[in-house]
Amino acid sequence: MSKRRPLSNIKITDFTWIGAGSYTTKILADFGADVVKIESSDRLDSLREAKPFKDGIPGVNRSGYFADRNSSKRSITVNLKTEEGNALVRRLVKQSDVVTNNFTPGVMERFGLGYEDVREIKPDIIYLSMSMHGQDGPEARYLGYGLTMGAVAGLHYLCGYEDEEPAGTGTNFPDHVPNPTHAAFAVLAALRYRAKTGKGQFLDLAQIEPTIALLGPAVIDYTANGIVASRVGNQHQKVAPHGVYPACGADRWIAISAPNQATWQKLLTQLSSPALGIDSRFIDPLARWENRVALDRELSKVTVNFEAAELGERLQRVGVPAGPVQDAADVLRDPQLKARNHWVYLDHPEMGKTVYSALPVKFSSIESTPTMTAPLLGQHTDEVLIERLGLTLEQIVALRERGVLS
Amino acid sequence: MSALMSEAGTRRVDEKTEVCDALAGVRVVELCESTEQYAGKMLAQLGAEVTLVEPLLGCDSRFEGPYLDSRPHRERSLTFAYLNQGKRSICVDADDAAGQGVIRRLAADADILISSVGPGVMAARGLSNKDLSQINPRLITANISLFGESGPYSDYVGDDLIAMAFGGMLYLGGYPGKAPTAAWGNQALLAAAQFTAVSILVALWDVESTPKNDISGQHLDISVQESVAMALENSAQFFDLEQKIKMRSGGEQRQAGMGVFSCQDGMIYLMAGGIASNRFWNGTVQWLLDEGVEAARVLFDEKWNDQNFLQTEEAKQTFANLFLPFARERTKAYLYGEGQRRRLPICPISTPADLVENRQLSHRGFFQDVLHPFTGRQILMPGAPYRLSQSPWRGGAPAPMLGEHTYEVLVRAGYEPEQLEVLMRQGVIA
Repeated sequence: MSKRRPLSNIKITDFTWIGAGSYTTKILADFGADVVKIESSDRLDSLREAKPFKDGIPGVNRSGYFADRNSSKRSITVNLKTEEGNALVRRLVKQSDVVTNNFTPGVMERFGLGYEDVREIKPDIIYLSMSMHGQDGPEARYLGYGLTMGAVAGLHYLCGYEDEEPAGTGTNFPDHVPNPTHAAFAVLAALRYRAKTGKGQFLDLAQIEPTIALLGPAVIDYTANGIVASRVGNQHQKVAPHGVYPACGADRWIAISAPNQATWQKLLTQLSSPALGIDSRFIDPLARWENRVALDRELSKVTVNFEAAELGERLQRVGVPAGPVQDAADVLRDPQLKARNHWVYLDHPEMGKTVYSALPVKFSSIESTPTMTAPLLGQHTDEVLIERLGLTLEQIVALRERGVLS
Repeated sequence: MSALMSEAGTRRVDEKTEVCDALAGVRVVELCESTEQYAGKMLAQLGAEVTLVEPLLGCDSRFEGPYLDSRPHRERSLTFAYLNQGKRSICVDADDAAGQGVIRRLAADADILISSVGPGVMAARGLSNKDLSQINPRLITANISLFGESGPYSDYVGDDLIAMAFGGMLYLGGYPGKAPTAAWGNQALLAAAQFTAVSILVALWDVESTPKNDISGQHLDISVQESVAMALENSAQFFDLEQKIKMRSGGEQRQAGMGVFSCQDGMIYLMAGGIASNRFWNGTVQWLLDEGVEAARVLFDEKWNDQNFLQTEEAKQTFANLFLPFARERTKAYLYGEGQRRRLPICPISTPADLVENRQLSHRGFFQDVLHPFTGRQILMPGAPYRLSQSPWRGGAPAPMLGEHTYEVLVRAGYEPEQLEVLMRQGVIA
């Protein structure tokens, strides 16, 4: 049986840009939704100008950061500030099931495209707004990026070593997982609700909130116990050893977790360190926990003699949870990710064959591998205007001359 | 499509009030043990009826801290209490043949079954998609495993940390020259849970919009490693396009004006650069000047528009020497408010305590009191991560006590009380 893309009947007019918003609509687009990204060469999606660029050469159609977040979508350029451009977009909205944006509150309203405006054109619209702080409140208009969201939300504070400055995740984490998944989930739930009741609705996702939702236990430890959780390095579980240890080579590391006596003994066998096994400081799980600092020190002396990938494989073969800390190059050639077709190489008109990520789920009869490379800026303007709005080429040329389609 | 949707969707909808949940009528059987329970929580809080099937002694998350009053006990895990709000709990031994029979009977009347076990485990229990779709062809099964159910590492073992390592995100966190540090709080498992929840709704949309006879057993195979690989930002592309490996930068400015800075009562994060541009630079410099940091005038020099210069130690030092003394005399609240008034991306590095005080979150009523039935306490927890105007998020009942709903769930599934006595006596249910 051929695989389906279940969202292929869903049309989305997409005003999102930069990180989380674009990643949200990528998920929906990879599942088949027709996502039309409304762009402007006047005010570019800043990811188009963000590194990395194909061969290091900047260009609005050359960013890998942009590309990965915009697979399977179409792009049109329209000047929303012109009356005609605005009218064209309204016609697209009227045909849409979902409208998405991640502006601060008020921006869509200024274009006459706020929820109330859109509802007049399309009463059952599902309208997703994903501003940083939500639609109302004293800080609703505060601005930021994934990194500052992670900081406001408490994630940054909690990551790293206790005696060092907080390190965060080293990424704009809220943009990559918490916000896109929560937003896509809300849209899908709203689609079901609409199918059942005929009603659309307004979805208000404040981008700091999903990340806090993912830190529930830390928040509750404070509200219930008065304990302000601190950074724990890699010691998230109350088991030892559980950490990251040096391996041979520059900046090479191995993660090891030996949660019980059996895995601990196997670990020592593989490390050829029987002495640690009879050391009274490490004799049972409780002793190892209490002496975990010394334990980490002792293990580090041994692991540093091994190559990370090889030691990881050797430990896995006997059932010890372990693995190399893979960098980007490792991840791209990782045999497991390859076997799962996680990385998809698509032939982009300007960038050539470049890498995209596929969603982390394999379905028995649903397909979600990206269908298309990220669009060039305005690549589908003509196509969309002809196909969706029935414009003629002559009309398009005239609109373009008047600066409506820039 | 709508007609079919409503046929499946209106089961148990409250017709009188007209208000109904987005996932009303959706029945979920969940066999997840730990942090992956977040997927079921997402479903439950939009209206699905989620039954958590626990081992007789309780699922793993009951044995994960923190604990209420810091007293370890399986009814006091705050992790469990948070992840399982809105669900019901039944105890069934899934590794026992009779227990598997019970789960099969639940699956016969369910829409979704979520598990988080290694490849082959559900098949060995006779609970694979193939087995269950014979009883219920419209059932969606989803299994979360560390590496997925196929491929050379599918039998590898591990936990959140190991998945973080293999997925490439661990390498990006932490400080140059030191062992990389993972994100706090099992974010790898949580990432998989989130993608699972999304994928389940896609599969549900598919089932509910496909004619009855055209559906046969949809299975979702979710990889934690791949979920982690979704969070690498642009580092895979950096290597693919520019052959550069992105490194960790904790404890340092990522570029001049971007990073953690100490202030009077804590720390703030400043992004004077923004993403891919320097659009906030002049605003930041002007702020310093307006507050009397005359020496900041040098930051108006042309060279501060050069991204390459901003990466240099010299640039970072110069900026820090001007900004830190300024910040040290001001509170994080002041810097946040004033910086934002000037439309600059600056914010406090919030501690968990700061979150509860955050006036924006208070305004939105983000934190909600939840009863903890075992102790009778009210506990403040994070609430709605999204606001749906018509089919709102609901916290739902407090997380269940172990096996709290075994009787009612199994009676509804058709068991006679006497049969349950037999199964309980056998140690199959509790």
